[in-house]
Formats: sequence, structure tokens, C-alpha cells
Amino acid sequence: MTEANPLALVVDDEQQIRRFLRAGLELDGFAVEEAESGQGALRLATLKPPDLVILDLGLPDMDGGDVLERLRTWSSVPLIVLSVRSNEAEKVRLLERGADDYVVKPFGMAELLARAHAAMRRYVRVSTGEPVIRIGPLSIDLAARIVTIDGERVMLTPKEYRLLQLLAQHAGNVVTHQFLLKEIWGSPHLQDTHYLRIFMRKLRQKIEADPTQPRILLTELGIGYRLVAPEIANPAPA
Amino acid sequence: MARFERIGRELRGSVIALLMVAATTGVVYALALSLEIRRGSAVYLLPVLLAGWHLGLIPALVAAVAGVLMSGYFFFSPYYSFYIARPNEFLHLVLFMVVAAVVSHLANSMKQQTELARKREKEMRDLYAFSRRLAVASSAGEIYRAIEEHLANLVQRKVVLFGAGAGEPGVLPEGMSLAARVHDAIAHVRDGHIPVSTVDDGAGDVWLIRRVSEANADFGVIAIDLGSVPAADIEEIRQRVDDVLADAAATLEHLDVARALDDAKMRSETELLREALIGSVSHELRTPLSSILGAATVLSNSPAVAADERLTSLAGVVRDESERLNNDIQNLLDATRVSRKQITPNSEWIEPQDIVNSALERRRRHLAGHKVLLDLDSNLPLIYVDAVLVEQAFVQIVDNAAKYSPAGSPITVAAKRNGSQVVLSVRDQGAGLSALENGQIYERFFRGQRHAATTSGSGLGLWIAQAFVNANGGKIVAASPGIDCGTTVAIHLPFATPTTEPEVGPDD
Repeated sequence: MTEANPLALVVDDEQQIRRFLRAGLELDGFAVEEAESGQGALRLATLKPPDLVILDLGLPDMDGGDVLERLRTWSSVPLIVLSVRSNEAEKVRLLERGADDYVVKPFGMAELLARAHAAMRRYVRVSTGEPVIRIGPLSIDLAARIVTIDGERVMLTPKEYRLLQLLAQHAGNVVTHQFLLKEIWGSPHLQDTHYLRIFMRKLRQKIEADPTQPRILLTELGIGYRLVAPEIANPAPA
Repeated sequence: MARFERIGRELRGSVIALLMVAATTGVVYALALSLEIRRGSAVYLLPVLLAGWHLGLIPALVAAVAGVLMSGYFFFSPYYSFYIARPNEFLHLVLFMVVAAVVSHLANSMKQQTELARKREKEMRDLYAFSRRLAVASSAGEIYRAIEEHLANLVQRKVVLFGAGAGEPGVLPEGMSLAARVHDAIAHVRDGHIPVSTVDDGAGDVWLIRRVSEANADFGVIAIDLGSVPAADIEEIRQRVDDVLADAAATLEHLDVARALDDAKMRSETELLREALIGSVSHELRTPLSSILGAATVLSNSPAVAADERLTSLAGVVRDESERLNNDIQNLLDATRVSRKQITPNSEWIEPQDIVNSALERRRRHLAGHKVLLDLDSNLPLIYVDAVLVEQAFVQIVDNAAKYSPAGSPITVAAKRNGSQVVLSVRDQGAGLSALENGQIYERFFRGQRHAATTSGSGLGLWIAQAFVNANGGKIVAASPGIDCGTTVAIHLPFATPTTEPEVGPDD
């Protein structure tokens, strides 16, 4: 391990889970710190600011959502939540409170790493102002507001572009319906998911090779949408 | 109030009586003038009789006095004077008053008797209807409804029956609440301390509270709001309620409801215990499973293991098997939710093919051994469902197709519109269904005899899927041409049109 290795903070009260997360993250080139409580996590995060936080929700001392909120008051570190199945409402709440993404227990390491890298890339992109996102044949130039497929310009209406832009800015991570509806149509339309469905259908028809089997604009049922991670098409060095 | 009303009524009656006397006088006087008759006093019996019959004693007496005075005025000397001089005039007066008294008394008692007869007839009719309902009742619920309605009819007040079975709270009619004292009394009676009690609810109403059956507390408790009745009447009402309930309790006993209720109580307790156990065990299993599955995926990516094909495949086995175990646990948890009736759809508008794609993505590894053919209509209407529940149901169906069809055989997944429904279907070329099996596959824990030895499973999958789809207003339909001829299982979901459309302007 060298100083250049990014630091991951793993917060989970189960020792066995911390063990495999440490192994998996170290294999992927991370340095790892562990905390088994919310208080411990907050203390560690101030002492050694991490580059990534993996946060389990079932902590003995604090509600995971509260840990997240406290952390967010002073840190915008990429953060992935470990959640249990079948509670979509909770996932949405955590995403709204500032989590970048979630994985559902039990999960495979590859899935967690894909989410983590996507979240970390976003912070890099925001800080360096990298304007172009490439996913396979699709290229989105956020500065010039130009979308191309295989070099051919795709004409999008302003709202279609806005939808794609919001997803591209979070490429690889899930974006909630509520966030998209609020950004595009405003607060009164937070419940009107069919607006999104209708525009997503149009967008897929323009961008996907087969709109009935999207490979780029993915649906997360009950939560939102996810623009597929650029790494999958253009593997980036970890 | 009643007093004033009565005085008013008597006054009105008296005025009418006087008017009748006046009218009689008019007629008699006209006749007397034209026919030169000066004998008309007997005619004044007519208003007395009429008043006595229809208006009661006092108006009749008024008519009698007025009649005598009038006849004295017109027909006896000295004419045109109210002076009663002769003894037969006085006799008239006495006679008229006696007639008034007798007629009004007769009329009154006859009215009362008619009233009583009518009331008795209605009670008999009600009682007859009640016993007929008891006779045909086939469930405790029907008997309870009959009791409630009959008693409410009988006392013309509110009646609340607190159901049978332990712990079951009384179901109060909408917008009704009971005073704390009444509640306490009901609990007291239900717990078997006393069989019957009367309690004042503090607002002036008296409640009669009684066990449905004196002998068996399991039959529940009935509470009757008697209103503000004198203590003397309570005893009478209580007697009648007792009679009604005696019949009803006998019928309840007869139906063997007592035993059924006992059984239900015990069954529901066992069920609860079992489900609590399943719930906690499943959660306990989840945590180590997460570690096992996570560790397996780390192992298969580690350079040492990745370099050795045998080790990679072993890590794959650990992963696949723990995923399967996870599915089984999920099924147990879902089954618990279904049987506790905790399925509450959280509906949203969704593209039908998103559900299909998401389910297939979740089962990609599972389906790797099959050729999946997709047939998704591109322009399906949106559906308003809980997408997560429907996806879970679809995953179950996909799992079954993969499980009961040979490796390498094609599985066709389709999403189509059919009339007012969207149909998501999975067709395999596997084991198929016999007609008998087709009737049983939705049953909890059903597993085909043919597969018992060769394929593992819990028999929960389709049962859960069906509950999830039903909760969304849809249904699951399975069809098979026969054994080994493949199966098509389809989810039928109704669709509606969103009430609001996004406004699409030229700038959108």
C-alpha cells in the first residue's frame, strides 16, 4: 500500500462483513479503515478523511441515516449504503439524505465496486470539470450540450436533454424519481412518475439500440433511473 | 313540556267540540225555524259522541255542557236564556256528561288495545323473522348479525356486539365511540367476572351489558344503549333481551361454534408463533449469508483463485448456492408477509417492459443455461402497479421456467397488450402440467409429485407470486398443452390511463 491509495472507510457492526469488504477493497487498490459504530465512524472520518465510505444501516448505536446526515454536514465524500431488500422507501430516503448509491445485502463485491467507482468518478468529474461522458457508442458533451451516437448528432428536446444530463452527471449511480421530477418539472410534480416514464420512453427511442431492452438508461424499480457506468463500456483504471 | 303539549291538545279538542256544538245548533235552529219544531235537545248527543270518540274526555265534557246550555237557550223556556230551570234539563246535563265519559273511555281503551295488538304483531313478526334467520344461519357471523339487528329493532336503540374470540376488539359502527365506563363494564363482563351489568355512561344513557351466552364467555358480549329509561323498565327490557339471547345462544351451541372458535384461537396463536420464528430465523440467516456470498465473490476475483480454474468454479459454487439460499429465505419472508396480509402495494406508473427487464437482469446468472428469447411490444401502455411486487412475482415465474425445463432449451419472455390488460408471460419447453397439476399449482406448498425426487423447492413460489399479483389487481394464468409439452405462465395486469399528461410545449 502506498500513500496514493484511496482510503475507504467501512462502517459495519458485523466483523465477518468488514473482513470480506476489507479484502475486496484492498484487492481493488484501496486502503481500508474500519468502524463498528456510528460514533466511531464519525470520529474516524474527521481524523482521516476517507475517499469512500461504505455504510451499513444496522448499527448498534445510531441510525445509519443519522450517521449519513451528520457526515454530510461537513463532508461530500462518496458514500454507498448497504441496505436490506424490500424497503424501497428507505432507500429513496437515504439517497435524498445524501447517499450516492446503495447495494442490497447480500451483494457481490463487483457490484459494490462498480457503484463505488461511479460515485468516486463523479467527484473527480465535478472537481476537474471533465465535460464529456462516453458510454459505448454514446457520447454526452455536457459543456457543449451535444449528444452523439457513433459520432452522429442526436436531436433532443430541452426536457429530454435535461433528463439525460441529470443522469449523466450521476453516471453509474442511481438517481431518484423525486430528484428528477423536481429538477425538471418542479416540486408540484413529485408524484407524477408517469411524466418521467413518458419522457424516458422518448429518450430511449433516440438513444437505445433496442428501446425495449435498454442497455444504457436502466430502470431501478421503485427508486429511479441509472445511466450505466462508463467503466462498463470504457474500463477506467481503478 | 309534555304537560304543555297535553293542555294544548285538550284546548284544541275543546275548541273543535265547541265548533261542533255551534254547527249542530246552526242546523237544528234552521230546522226548528222552518219546521216549527221546538224539540232538539237529543241532537246535541251527536257532538258529544263524536268528541268523546275522537277527541277524548275533556272535549266531550265541554261538548256536553255546551250542548245542554244551547238546548236550554233555544228549546226550553225561558227561550233565549241559559237559565236551567227544569229538572229534566238538569237530567240532560247529567246524561250528556255520563255519555261523554263512557264514550271517551271506550274509545280510549279500544285505541290502546289496537296499539298493543299492532305492537305485539310486529314483535311476533320480528321474532319469527329472527328465528327463521337463526334456523338458516350457517356461521357465527350470521347469527351475530341477526342478534344485533333484532335487538336494535326491539329496543329501538344502539346495539353493539363485541365479537367472539379472544382479544378481538369490538367493531364499533363508523363515527361511534363508547364512554370509558361502558368500555370498562364490557371488559369486565367479557373477562367473565359477571354475566350481566348495567352502567350509566355519564351522559344520561344507561347501557345494558350482557354475555351472549350465560354459559360460554367465548360467544362474546353485547352492549345495548337503553337511553334514559326508568329503573323499572330496565328489568323488563332485560327480560326480553334474555329471551332473545337464550334462543341465539342455543343456536350458536348447536352450530358447534364454540369449538370452532376455540380452534381458530389456537390455530392463530400457533400460526403467529410459527411466523415470528420464521421471521427472526430468516433475518438471523441473512447476515452470515451476506458474509459468505461477499467472501465468495472476493475469492473468485483474487489473483490466486482466478488463476486456477478449479478454484474459480468452487468459488462460483459457493456464490450460486448462497444465492439460492438467499432466495429461499426471501421466499420464507415473503410467505410470512402474505399470510399476515401485509402486502400493501405502493403503486406508481411504470413501463411494463421495465419490470420484465429488471427481473431478467436479476436472474441473469440463473438463466445462463437457457436461451432467453424476448418478445416485448415497443408501445405498451403504462401500468399503475407496485413494480417491485410484480417484479418479484415475475422472478418467481422465470425461476420456475428455468427449473422445470431442460438446460439449453429456449424460454420465451413476452410483454403484450391484450384488450384492457397488459400480459407478461414466460413460456418454456419443459415439464408441462397435467390438468390435475394445473388446478393445484397455486396452492401453498404444492409441489408436483413427478418432480419431488429430481428438483428441489418449497412450493411457495407461485403461491407468493399469485398473492403479489392479486394485490395489484391482476391475476396469474398458467396453461400447458400437457405433460412434457411446456408451460406458459402469464401475469395479467389491468391498465388505466394517467389522469394528467405532462404538458408538452414546443420547448420540451
